[in-house]
Amino acid sequence: MKTIWKRELKGYFFTPTGYVFIGVFLLVASVMFYMTILRQHSGDLPAFIAEMTYLWMLLSPVLTMRLLAEERQKKTDQLLMTSPVSLPAIVVGKYLAAVTMLLITAGATLFFVLVVAIYGTVFPAELAVNYLGFILAGCAFVALDLFLSGCVKNPVSAAALAFGANFLLWILDLLERAVEVRWIADVLRFLSLYSRNETFMMGQLSFAAVLFDLSFVVAFLTLTVWMLDRRRVRS
Amino acid sequence: MIRFENVSKKYGAILALQDVSVEIPEGQTLGLLGRNGAGKTTMLNLMTGYFPPTEGVVRVGGMEMMTHPRECKRLIGYLPERPPLYDEMTVSEYLAFVSELREVARGAGRAHIDEIIGLCGLGEMKHRVIGRLSKGYRQRVGIAQALCGSPEILVLDEPTVGLDPRQIAETRELIRLLAREHTVIFSSHILSEVQQLCTRVLILHEGRVVSDLEPGEQTPDQQKLRLRAAMGRDRLLRLLAELPCVLQAEAVPGSEEGEVRLVCRRQDENGLATDQIFRLFSRLDTPLRMIREEADTLEEIFLRETGGNA
Repeated sequence: MKTIWKRELKGYFFTPTGYVFIGVFLLVASVMFYMTILRQHSGDLPAFIAEMTYLWMLLSPVLTMRLLAEERQKKTDQLLMTSPVSLPAIVVGKYLAAVTMLLITAGATLFFVLVVAIYGTVFPAELAVNYLGFILAGCAFVALDLFLSGCVKNPVSAAALAFGANFLLWILDLLERAVEVRWIADVLRFLSLYSRNETFMMGQLSFAAVLFDLSFVVAFLTLTVWMLDRRRVRS
Repeated sequence: MIRFENVSKKYGAILALQDVSVEIPEGQTLGLLGRNGAGKTTMLNLMTGYFPPTEGVVRVGGMEMMTHPRECKRLIGYLPERPPLYDEMTVSEYLAFVSELREVARGAGRAHIDEIIGLCGLGEMKHRVIGRLSKGYRQRVGIAQALCGSPEILVLDEPTVGLDPRQIAETRELIRLLAREHTVIFSSHILSEVQQLCTRVLILHEGRVVSDLEPGEQTPDQQKLRLRAAMGRDRLLRLLAELPCVLQAEAVPGSEEGEVRLVCRRQDENGLATDQIFRLFSRLDTPLRMIREEADTLEEIFLRETGGNA
């Protein structure tokens, strides 16, 4: 698992993928920071962090598109599958590499917090909960998008599929507000990553929300392993 | 070392391998021959654990691949038809990755990789990015990765396909070298290559093993002879057919007049077949211009077993 993690992490920096992900994320986050904080002379970090969460939706496909789809396209999966490494170790290794990129990026955004801390007030406990929600949402998107990368052979198709799925989750959130039938709205709310995330952005540490995000991650990683194994058996 | 017990593999409705039972002992250089779609790659993928069989059991080193995949896979190095290379890595980075993947101890890793690089003639290329290597060097890197972790068995799927004649010769030489210390199993379309390199050949046809032979081996009690005599073909065939040891006599199409091919009992109560033939021509006072023993060529066997054109 560690070997796979190391290779994938290096892979992000051998290719433009890692630089594009971090660069675009920080560029767009900087614009958001200017619009939300600097321009309005505001210290509302939770609102800014909530906005940054949407960037995971847009950019996590960049991190995951190659992870499994390209292995299949270039047939390098034959190396992994015929080496003494288990399928769960391969999937988790790849997942952790993408999460590491996500953590590096989240770490870089602390610069914005530093700016607010210099010119205003930061509440560390609230900030920690905000960041926990921010990171957990990212981890959930990566797990979903990794699964989708395993569904197709082409990295570009994987990215398009992942973006579509992330967008659908966002639409669920909007739909939940629009739907009048209560039980449907409840189901949509249950599935929505965004509404779960709201509690974190309000500074409330919700164990239910943490558990949901973690379960979401475990469910999609398990699905990924199951799908790859089924394909191996059927191929 | 590797054992297939009644192994079948289906791809959907297509039966790619049918009830194959084969044992490959340690130290053999085994060639898999067959036309496209005969089941060669399927057989290699099964023995490397890339996918499981639909029916039957694959054992490697006495262990079942399905229940002990890690232990079995440790014993095998695999070069698939398309080498599994990461283009963005350098040769040494890639081999370091594969060595780690194959659980080479961290301390031994560097020396192990240097040894493999030397063996595969990749010394000048070790800091080059794989994506910029020629086809021949990519193939060498593919073989090098199969050697990582010092596996006892090397499985090579068409290792010389797409290479130029010089690269083919170099790759064959490398395989010959590796076969001294490893059990080597490889598939090929090239009959001469298999004949040169292998101690044993399996011919596959429509998912079945139709022939299992050692190149050049003879049927012990029979002998194939080719001879030419100063005599008309029809008379020659008639006279030879009368010899008790001759089982079959036929003209060789396209050969000179008086040249025939015989299948004989190597020895019977009248003595050796060759002795009986010499005595016949001596009695007839006819010059025997040529006589030689013929082995079934691999090409002949292949064409016969696979039912026609190669």
